[in-house]
Amino acid sequence: MFDHRLILLATPRQIGALDWRPGHMHWLGEFPATPDGLSAFRQVVIRHSRLPTLLVADSVDEDYRSEILPHVQGRARDELLGRKLKQVFRNARFTGAWRQVRETTGRRDDRYLLAALPDADWLTPWLAVLQRERVPLAGVVPLALAYQHLLDKLREQSAHVLLACRLHNGLRLSYYQNGLLRFSRLIGGDTPTQLPDNAADEIAKTQLYLTGQRILPREARLQVLLLDPSGQLDSAQAPLNADPAFNTRLVDMPDLARALRIPDDFLAATPEVVPLAAIADEPLLLNLAPPELLQHHTEFRWRRGLHATAAAVALLGAGLTSAYWLQAQELTGRADDLARQHRQLDARYQAIARTFPPQVAAPEQLAQTVALARQLEGGQPAPGPLLATIGQALLGTPDIVLDGLSWSDDPLTPAGEARITLDAALTPFDGNYRAAMQRIDQFMQTLRSTPAVVDVTLRSSPVNADSASTLSGKTLGADAASTPVARFSLGVHYREGRP
Amino acid sequence: MTHPPFAVLKLPLLLVLAVVLLAGAGILWGRNQAAEAEAGVQEQQAAVNRARQQLDRSRQQQQLIATHLSAYQALAARGFVGAEDRLAWIEAAQLANRELGLYGLDYRLTPRTPAQPALARGLPLGQTNMTLALPLLVETDLARYLAALKARAPGVVRVRECRLTRLDSARFEAVNRPQLLAECELLWFTVAPASEGKT
Repeated sequence: MFDHRLILLATPRQIGALDWRPGHMHWLGEFPATPDGLSAFRQVVIRHSRLPTLLVADSVDEDYRSEILPHVQGRARDELLGRKLKQVFRNARFTGAWRQVRETTGRRDDRYLLAALPDADWLTPWLAVLQRERVPLAGVVPLALAYQHLLDKLREQSAHVLLACRLHNGLRLSYYQNGLLRFSRLIGGDTPTQLPDNAADEIAKTQLYLTGQRILPREARLQVLLLDPSGQLDSAQAPLNADPAFNTRLVDMPDLARALRIPDDFLAATPEVVPLAAIADEPLLLNLAPPELLQHHTEFRWRRGLHATAAAVALLGAGLTSAYWLQAQELTGRADDLARQHRQLDARYQAIARTFPPQVAAPEQLAQTVALARQLEGGQPAPGPLLATIGQALLGTPDIVLDGLSWSDDPLTPAGEARITLDAALTPFDGNYRAAMQRIDQFMQTLRSTPAVVDVTLRSSPVNADSASTLSGKTLGADAASTPVARFSLGVHYREGRP
Repeated sequence: MTHPPFAVLKLPLLLVLAVVLLAGAGILWGRNQAAEAEAGVQEQQAAVNRARQQLDRSRQQQQLIATHLSAYQALAARGFVGAEDRLAWIEAAQLANRELGLYGLDYRLTPRTPAQPALARGLPLGQTNMTLALPLLVETDLARYLAALKARAPGVVRVRECRLTRLDSARFEAVNRPQLLAECELLWFTVAPASEGKT
């Protein structure tokens, strides 16, 4: 869509129009430079007024100059070229400069090709039509530049090429050095160039001119390409090849059609499309049009850029919006799935909850209550074995009389354990506390040897021999009537079922 | 083309502006939709997680109920769950004494107090202290009496402390006369009813 363009081939006698887009072209016809021709051309232009247009000029009045200029850029270069064009071509309206190469030695200057159409009045009617219909004119280029692109497409690699081309009864001779246009001239159709021998002479004269102007090196061998759909140049090949300064090659129609990717029959019917098709998809290297003629194209480019920007933004917006929307749809679907899953889980929970008995504590509390009751009811030492353990120890010590026995149990202590307090007295007791303590120790040893007893401690003894306390008493005589008592208390750590 | 020809580019510029606005609005709308949908997914995911945990918990509760309900109901029937039944406790103490042919007893019940938190473990467990004083012929009578009392106990009872002392210092005589005095401190445990427990 963006490469669709209108390409015009203008001569002083007629103008041809080609509707071109990549892979497709349509010859709109030729229009003579008459009022009728102009009117018909205008109708065509109106139909294609929105297409960018390139005008290829084919005129005898053209001028080429090769100049070496200092390497400058930007505004300085524009000013330099403007001055140079004015100096070289004076008041010519259609001028242009093309920076071809940069010198590799010395100051490394730039080599420019300056070109002009000194007498371009014949272009005015055609351009007036284009301006009136606000056609975006991209540029005006000389026909020789279009043929330069043809050489590229023909893969012509020779350093010095002279293209001889017949079109509209005219013979155009263009010289290309290393593939770049250096010089071109048109020999009008009313001259005797229709004769093959004259064509060969014109080529030889052109070679002499180029050599004389030092454009063509003296020792260079010129590769001459003969391009003539009518075949009138074919006979010029033999005389040229006879001269060692030339090497001639005839470009036939099949090669041309293949290079330009144009059907043979279309090319045979409209040989004018050859240069137009060659330049159609190429960048504009040399533009002879003055800036005021390019105003509509400037507007066109801005408009097209803005439209492209709008399209890109719209595409980006639509893409991102669609992506977000699709993501939202996907997430919504996932949320719906989760909601369905939630409902299923809730239904299963309700089904289970309905089986819970009413008026009952929470299940965890229920289990805790049962476990607590089991803990409280179990693990308490039985009184029978406890009393039997103490009784068994007392049986072996008949001189100890039990005054009192108590035991306590705490629900938080390990199961089967109890603290026993045993209050007893030694009978008989003769007042010998040392012997009494030995008897108590023996009793404690007896208790300790009992399997269910973990530990035995002396809580109180008959006499307190501690250095920190006061000790008092009396010693009875041998004939004393009363019998002294030696009371003591033991603490027993009891554990039921101890192995 | 140094300066853009703004005069002839009004419509394209307006078009670009409109497209930028529309595209921006579309993108914002789409992003908002996606964010809302994402929040919805997060919310539903959290709800599903909660429902799954609730279901797992209900299964565990179902298992607990299946395992412990009968035991719990039995405890409730015995009086462990619910209000105190002091009369039943006194009757049990008296009945055990009478059936063993002992010599009577004195009892005293203190007001109900909360059990130690370490023992209760969060349950509304209360304990009532019952002090018994009963004369005995021989010490084995105490073991028999306590066993009889536990067998008849309408609830959960635990012997906290017992003390055996001689009634006098006289020598043992083979007559049917109590020789010993047993003083026991018992703890009757009760758990508050389910309705109280739920609160």
